[in-house]
Amino acid sequence: MKRMDWVVDFISRKGFRKGWTVFIVAFFLFFVVLPTLYVVTYAFTDWSAIETAVLSNPETLSTIVDSVVISFEIAAIVTVIDFLAGLPIAWILVRKEFRGKEFLDTLIDMPLAVPTAALGFSAAVFWVMNPDPVPFSLSVISSPFLLIILLHIVFSYPYMVRSLAAILEEIDDTYEVAGRTLGASRLTAARTITLPLFRAGLATGVILCFSRSMSETGGTMIALSTMANLGIGEAANFFTGSTLIGEWRSLVETDPTYAPSLAFVSILLIALALILLIILKLVIMKFHLPLRKVWPMQEKMLSRGIFPKMKDGGALLFLALIVLIPSFFIFTYVLFSDPASLDMGALSYALGYSFLVAGVVTVIDIALGIPFALHITKHRDRASSNVLDVLVNVPLIVPTAALGYSLFLFWGSIGTGGASFVVLILAHVAFTYPLVVRNVAGAVEEIDPSFEETARTLGARPIQSFHRVLYPLIKSSILAGAIMAFTRSLGETGATQAVLGRNALTAPVYIVSLVKADELYQAGLACIILIIVSYIFMLLLRYLTKKRKEAI
Amino acid sequence: MPSITLRGIKKSYGKVVAADGLELEVENGEYLCLLGPTGAGKTTALRIIAGLTKPDSGQVLLDVRDVTHLEPEERNAVLLSQRYSLFPTMTVAENILFGPSIRKVPELDSRKTLVELLDLVRLTKRADSYPRELSGGMQQRNALARALATNPDVLLLDEPLRALDARLRIDLRHELRSLAKALGLTVIHVTHDQEEAMVMADRIAVIRNGRIVQIGTPREVFDDPVSPFVANFVGQSNFFVGNILCSRDGRMTTVEDDKGHVVFARSSEIPVDSKVVVAIKVGNTRVVKKSDAFLTGAVERALFEGRVVHLDVNAGDLGRYSVKLPASRRDQVAVGDEVGLNWEIPKASVFPYPEGGLEEELRVD
Repeated sequence: MKRMDWVVDFISRKGFRKGWTVFIVAFFLFFVVLPTLYVVTYAFTDWSAIETAVLSNPETLSTIVDSVVISFEIAAIVTVIDFLAGLPIAWILVRKEFRGKEFLDTLIDMPLAVPTAALGFSAAVFWVMNPDPVPFSLSVISSPFLLIILLHIVFSYPYMVRSLAAILEEIDDTYEVAGRTLGASRLTAARTITLPLFRAGLATGVILCFSRSMSETGGTMIALSTMANLGIGEAANFFTGSTLIGEWRSLVETDPTYAPSLAFVSILLIALALILLIILKLVIMKFHLPLRKVWPMQEKMLSRGIFPKMKDGGALLFLALIVLIPSFFIFTYVLFSDPASLDMGALSYALGYSFLVAGVVTVIDIALGIPFALHITKHRDRASSNVLDVLVNVPLIVPTAALGYSLFLFWGSIGTGGASFVVLILAHVAFTYPLVVRNVAGAVEEIDPSFEETARTLGARPIQSFHRVLYPLIKSSILAGAIMAFTRSLGETGATQAVLGRNALTAPVYIVSLVKADELYQAGLACIILIIVSYIFMLLLRYLTKKRKEAI
Repeated sequence: MPSITLRGIKKSYGKVVAADGLELEVENGEYLCLLGPTGAGKTTALRIIAGLTKPDSGQVLLDVRDVTHLEPEERNAVLLSQRYSLFPTMTVAENILFGPSIRKVPELDSRKTLVELLDLVRLTKRADSYPRELSGGMQQRNALARALATNPDVLLLDEPLRALDARLRIDLRHELRSLAKALGLTVIHVTHDQEEAMVMADRIAVIRNGRIVQIGTPREVFDDPVSPFVANFVGQSNFFVGNILCSRDGRMTTVEDDKGHVVFARSSEIPVDSKVVVAIKVGNTRVVKKSDAFLTGAVERALFEGRVVHLDVNAGDLGRYSVKLPASRRDQVAVGDEVGLNWEIPKASVFPYPEGGLEEELRVD
C-alpha cells in the first residue's frame, strides 16, 4: 500500500507528467508515423533507380497502373454498395425495437472475428465457378474482379454499419418526429431531415471502407490463389495494388531488381490514399447533397405498405447472402471435402506465434494508445493536437502491404536485421495503434470533462481521477479498441509478409502458403481452427471484463 | 482574514477576454454571490480559483497561501458544477465517499462522515441508488454532500440551482445558504439570477466583461448602483436622459431633457450642464395623480402577474417606463388611461452619460 502511494505521488509530479507526454508523442511519431511514411524517402534518395526500372519500362509501369486502378475501382464500388446495403440495417438497429435485435447486432460484427485470410478462402470456395462444386455453394463467379468486390464487401460492411449506426444514435429522432407532424411522410422526413445530419458518420464509414478495401492483402491473395487453383487461370495474373506489393515483396528476396518497382507502388498507394482522405473529408463535409426537392405523393406511397418491408427484407437478405454465409461457408467446405492430414505441429506453432504477436501488440497499443488519445482530446485548443489527430489516421488508410514494406525499409535501414519478432511487433503496432486511439478518443470526447474536473477539485490526482472516474466510463470503448487491434493483428497477412518476407511464421501467412501449395482442405481446416480460437478468445475477453465490472 | 483573494487576474481565449484584471477578496465564512450576465467571466473566475484554468497573469491566494501554480487537488477548494457531475458509475454513497477514499481516511471515520452527511442531505434511504435514479433536487443534495465530505475550506458553486425547476429552486435557496452558514463555509456562488443573489448573498460582486464592477451587500448594490448597468441588471430600472439644471444644496438634483421635461433625483457631485442618466428602479416607480407627476404617459399594456400588475407606460419621446402595481389596485388602471409617474427623489440615482451610449452600457451579452 505504501509503495502504491509512492508510485502515485511520483507519477503525479509535473516533471514526470511532462516527460511522459513527450515520450508518448515521440513514440507515436517515431514508431508509428515515421516508419509508415519512410518508403517515401526512397523517391528522394533513389529516384534514378525508379526511373530506369519503372518509368522507362512501359510493361512494369502498366502493370503498376493497372493494379492501382483496379484497387480504386474495387474500393469505390465496394464503398457504394456498403452504404446502400448498410444504411437500412443501421436504421433498423438504432430506430427499431424488436425481438432478436441483440442477435442481429452481434451478427453484424461476426465477419470482424474471422481473420481475413480465412474470409478470402471461405468466400472464394462459396462464389467461384467450379466444375465440381462444394454442396450448397453458389459457384457462379468466374471474374476475379467480381470475386474481390464480393470479398471486400464482407469485411468492410461491418465498418459502414457501425459508423452509420453510431451517428444515427446521436441524432435526436425528435427532428424526424417534428418533420412528420408537419406533414412529411416517413421517407421524406428521413431523407430531408436525418440524412443531411449524417455527413460525419458517412465520412468515417466511407474512409474506413475505402481504405480497408484498398489495403487488404492477405484475404485478397488467398481468394485469388484459391480461384486459380479451382481452374480459373485468369486469377493468377490479376493484381490489386496491395497484392502486387505482396507478390513483388516475395520476389525481391531472390531478385533485388524488383526493389525500385516495389518502392514505387508503395509510394503511389500511400500518396493516393492520403490525397483521397483529404478529398473525401472536404467533399463530404462541404458538399451539400441536392436533396431538398420532395415528391410528396410518390414518397408517401413508398413509405407505406410493402415498400418499407421490401427495403428491410432486401437489406437482411443482403446481410445473410453476401456477408454472413460466405464468411462461414468454410465450415461447409471442410465438412464435404475429403479429409487429408494436417501438420498440426506447424499449425499450432503458427497459431501460438500469431497469438503472442497479437497479444503483445494489443498490450503496447493500450499502454501507449490510451495516454495518446487522452492527450489529443484534452488539448483540443492546441493546433499541435489537431495535427496529431489527423496523423493518427495515416496508418489506417495507408495500404498495409505498402506500410509493411515501408517498415521493412525503415527498420532494416537502422539495422535491427535479426530481431524479426521485434520488427514484426513494431509493424503490427503501427497499423493497430490508431484503432485503439480512435476508439478511446471518440469515447473520451463524448464524456463531459466536468466529471474529471470535479474529481480533481475533490482531491484526486490526475491518475486517480482517470482510474476512478474516466476509466469506468470508457471501459467498453477500450475493450472495443483492444478487440479490433487484436483481431486485426491476428488476421493481418500483407504487412507481415512485407516486413518478414517468406520467413514470417504467423497463422495467416501459413494459411496462404497452404493455399498456394494447393492444399485446400488443410487450409480450410486451419482457417476453422483460427476462427474458433479467435472467437473463443473474444468471448473470454468479454466475459472477463464483464466479470470485473460486476466485482467493482 | 480574507479566505480567497484574487489579484490582477487576467485570462483571454484568443480575442475573448474572460478576466480583465479581476480583484476580489472573500472573507472567511462569507457567502458571496458572483453575479453577471452570460459571458461576463463568472465561470472563468470560479475555474481559476479551483485551479482548472490557468490565468495568464495575476495571483490566487487561499487564506494567505499563494496557490496560483498549484494543481486543483492541492487547493482544498471544491467545485460544484452546473450539472453536478455525479459520477454515474457510483452510487450515492460511493460518490460521497470519493473524496475521503482518495485521502485515505480510515474506514471508521469515513463511515461516520457518510452517515452524518446522508442524514444532513436527507438521502439515507437512497444511499445505494445511482445518480440517474434521483430527482434533480436529490442529485443536487448528493453533489453537495460529496463536496462536504472532503471537508473543504472553500466551496465554489457554479449556478447550483440552474438545473432545478422554478419552485424547487426558490425552496433550495434558503436551504443551501443556511447549510453553508451552519458549517461555517466560505462560499462563492456564481449566478446570473439577480433575485437569487439578492436573497442568498452576504455580499454581491457584479461582474461584467471580466471585471468586478461593484461589490457590496445586496442592499448597497440595489440601492446605490455604481453605473446604469448595475442599476438595470440588479432589479431593472427606468431611465431618463438629460442635462443637470441644478444640484441645489446637496439635497437633490434637477435634470431637464431637450424637450423640456424635468425630473428630480438624489443629490450628486456631477457639475451643472453635464449630460446624465437618471435611473429609477422599476419597483420604486409609482403611478400617481397627474398633479404630483414628474412625467405622464398612456398605459400601453397591463400584465397581471398574480401578486402584481406590470404596466408599460408610453411616455412619448421619453420612451417606455415599466411600473409594478400591487394586485389590489389592478382595477384602478386600464389600457389607454393617461397616468402620472413619480418616485421618491432619494431613490433615483444619477450617473454621467456613458461614453458608448446608454444602449451599449445596458447590453447584457
